[in-house]
Amino acid sequence: MDKEHHQAILEKIWPTVKKKHLYPEIPMPRVGELAGSEEGEGSKDEGVGLEMKEKQMTLNSTFLSNVKGRMPEEQVIEALLDHGITHYTFCPWDFHTHVALYSQAKKVMGDKTLAKRAANYFIDVVSDTHCVKKRFSDIPELHRTLKKGKVEEVIACLYQQIWGVDLGFSRSGKSGKGYDDVVRRLARIPYLDRSRWHESIQKFSRTMKPLLMEEQQEEGSQGGKGEPNPQGEHDLNNYSYEEIDEGLRECANDKMALSEFREMVEDFSEELKEAGYGMEGGMGRGRGTAIDADVLFYMKLAENYAIPLRKVLLEEKGTLHPHSHAPWEVGSPYQDVDIWTSFGKIMPGITQVWKKKQGKGKGKLDGTPDCLIAIDSSGSMINPRKSLSYAVLGAACATNAYLRNGSKVGVYNFSDAPMGGKDVLDYTNKREAIYRVLCKYFGGGTALDLDDLVPLIRNRKNLDLFIITDMKITNIEALISYFAQIENRITAVHIGENPYAARFEKAIGKRTNINIFTVKRKEDIPNIILGKIREYFHSSH
Amino acid sequence: MKNLPLPNRDPTDPKNRPLIPNPFEEFEIHTFAKAEIPLDRIVESMEVVMDEIRRGYEKLLEEEAKELVWMVQYNTIIKAYEVAEKYVKEIRYCAEDIEDFCFALENTQRIPYLIPGPAGLYISALCNYVQEEEILLKLSELKTEINLLGFRLPKGKRLIIEGDTGDFTGIGVEGGELVVEGGAKNWTGAGMRSGKILVKKNIGLHTGEWMMGGEIHVGGRVRGLGNIVEGKVFEREKLVYPGKVRYPNSYY
Repeated sequence: MDKEHHQAILEKIWPTVKKKHLYPEIPMPRVGELAGSEEGEGSKDEGVGLEMKEKQMTLNSTFLSNVKGRMPEEQVIEALLDHGITHYTFCPWDFHTHVALYSQAKKVMGDKTLAKRAANYFIDVVSDTHCVKKRFSDIPELHRTLKKGKVEEVIACLYQQIWGVDLGFSRSGKSGKGYDDVVRRLARIPYLDRSRWHESIQKFSRTMKPLLMEEQQEEGSQGGKGEPNPQGEHDLNNYSYEEIDEGLRECANDKMALSEFREMVEDFSEELKEAGYGMEGGMGRGRGTAIDADVLFYMKLAENYAIPLRKVLLEEKGTLHPHSHAPWEVGSPYQDVDIWTSFGKIMPGITQVWKKKQGKGKGKLDGTPDCLIAIDSSGSMINPRKSLSYAVLGAACATNAYLRNGSKVGVYNFSDAPMGGKDVLDYTNKREAIYRVLCKYFGGGTALDLDDLVPLIRNRKNLDLFIITDMKITNIEALISYFAQIENRITAVHIGENPYAARFEKAIGKRTNINIFTVKRKEDIPNIILGKIREYFHSSH
Repeated sequence: MKNLPLPNRDPTDPKNRPLIPNPFEEFEIHTFAKAEIPLDRIVESMEVVMDEIRRGYEKLLEEEAKELVWMVQYNTIIKAYEVAEKYVKEIRYCAEDIEDFCFALENTQRIPYLIPGPAGLYISALCNYVQEEEILLKLSELKTEINLLGFRLPKGKRLIIEGDTGDFTGIGVEGGELVVEGGAKNWTGAGMRSGKILVKKNIGLHTGEWMMGGEIHVGGRVRGLGNIVEGKVFEREKLVYPGKVRYPNSYY
């Protein structure tokens, strides 16, 4: 009965709230029953008032009934909606910001649970303060009404100071312990300055650390279950798969080092698995068992680079043809957007992308052959699991380029191959399997075993070769003479400048099917053109 | 029909303009009332103070940059402290501003140079001239251990530092009380005249070198005592100077 009543109120006020927040693009919230809420005035806390899952806000009917006597339901609903919407429109805004804030908090707190808690409190303070400053909101009234623990009391004192409203709390606190210096320090944080959030959350965490630790200890002694946040918990459930994907890409691209990324993925492993990341059965959708953070890092980082791939005349393969339309989603790439049917707009619901299919033509058509990637993982190369390896990144970009065109990729990861320091993966289109072999590090001497390589190339008329190494290969002469015998397109990438690379370059001479590129920095990777045959290239231009 | 001459109208006269409705009339400029909350004022005033503190530090560095190598010598310290005092006296700030400045020193975007010597002297000057009598600096999350903290701490002031401090902590203390919740390095309390230094954890070499009075209490171990003229040093509540047990710069 209450549920229908709350739903009716929600439907009545939703247009006003939407207008107030300048029409955010989120679905109509709904009223439901959420887990972890007890009914009745006598219960210790009101439970969770709001839950957000993939932009869908759900208001807890039990919570609304519990606070009914203390605040009009309409106001409670509006305050909760204001709070929820602000998470989408201001803080944390997106997955990347959320994770970045968490990482900063972790630097101070040193503990995953405490860091998550600190980040959640910070996000709530920023959102509520933004709401109070920018829009007329009943959030202060809601805070006045809610029952509070020690930390919430301190936050309420902070609100009193920074909002200039009386929420009925004194700085001395109920427990008699003075929070004055904590509140004073917290009040000096520029919460609304987005450009300083990293610095701000560190200060916030520093100041709150003793209190949060105390709270954690108390919870531990009470069986480990803390009071739920009435304004909802902030976990990765708030984000869609595409948003998480985009956020991970951004994290890998510019903000985080490999170690930081790994730490973050490990900390959020449960949530990421829930979202569909997991190595077993594919690092794609569907639940898995474990996430290899390093592999995920290279996967997401490589998605930021697109290296061109020259096509070749193939008998049975055709190029990818636009076949049908599909709706575009936030976070999906833009290159396949059909601007004509999307009316020139990038907006979910309006924008459409082309779904491509490979055509099968008679005679010869432009197509993409399969590729064999030979990657050097000897001691002179960087261990990709310790720091950013340009070799793995380059190979990952090449993998993406071939897979995107519907081809298969085989991997030959070598160090001291004749002594067993090698890993061979047969041609496949399973991205995570390829990445796993690419990320393998042997760290021994550098020698190729042609007996391994030849069977992978033999009888494959249309096959591209991609070799990425620092060229410090002991049996490089054997490799050069083998390359001289084959007609396949070969892209050789050497990491850094050294005399070995110069020797290789000289030995290859003017062979038109071999192209050599140097990678000294991350930015050099897009300059690689896969399968670039000089003659082929010149003849068409 | 004969054409009548048109009346000579001035087009610049607003009365003579044709009455064409303004097509944008319906699009009113919508202005939201700019709400201000106390946070804005707090942050703004804090920024002003922080800028002044930062400017003072930069001026001190400019003066000290003339010395190519900053050596911790009696004259250098006195001279630098006097310069710091000069700038600090002109600023109105509170204890939290000092703490914020300590963290800002590590933020290279905001303050490009952290030179531990002058920085420590400048922070000491800030502590000595702040209005509050008790100053609590929560520096446990600071990555750098700042030297020379608590320099010339005057009588009536109590400086509490959460975290560890570097070399020359509490040198020349003049009657104040310095509490270090962590450990301190070498030359702690050197040349102090009166007052009290309390270090909760361990302390380094040359502790109390040329100390003229006052007390140093160490909760952990004292690695080595300096040449003490007068005063008392306690290690885990046990008097180690004056006493026969410890000799100058003895290692344990």
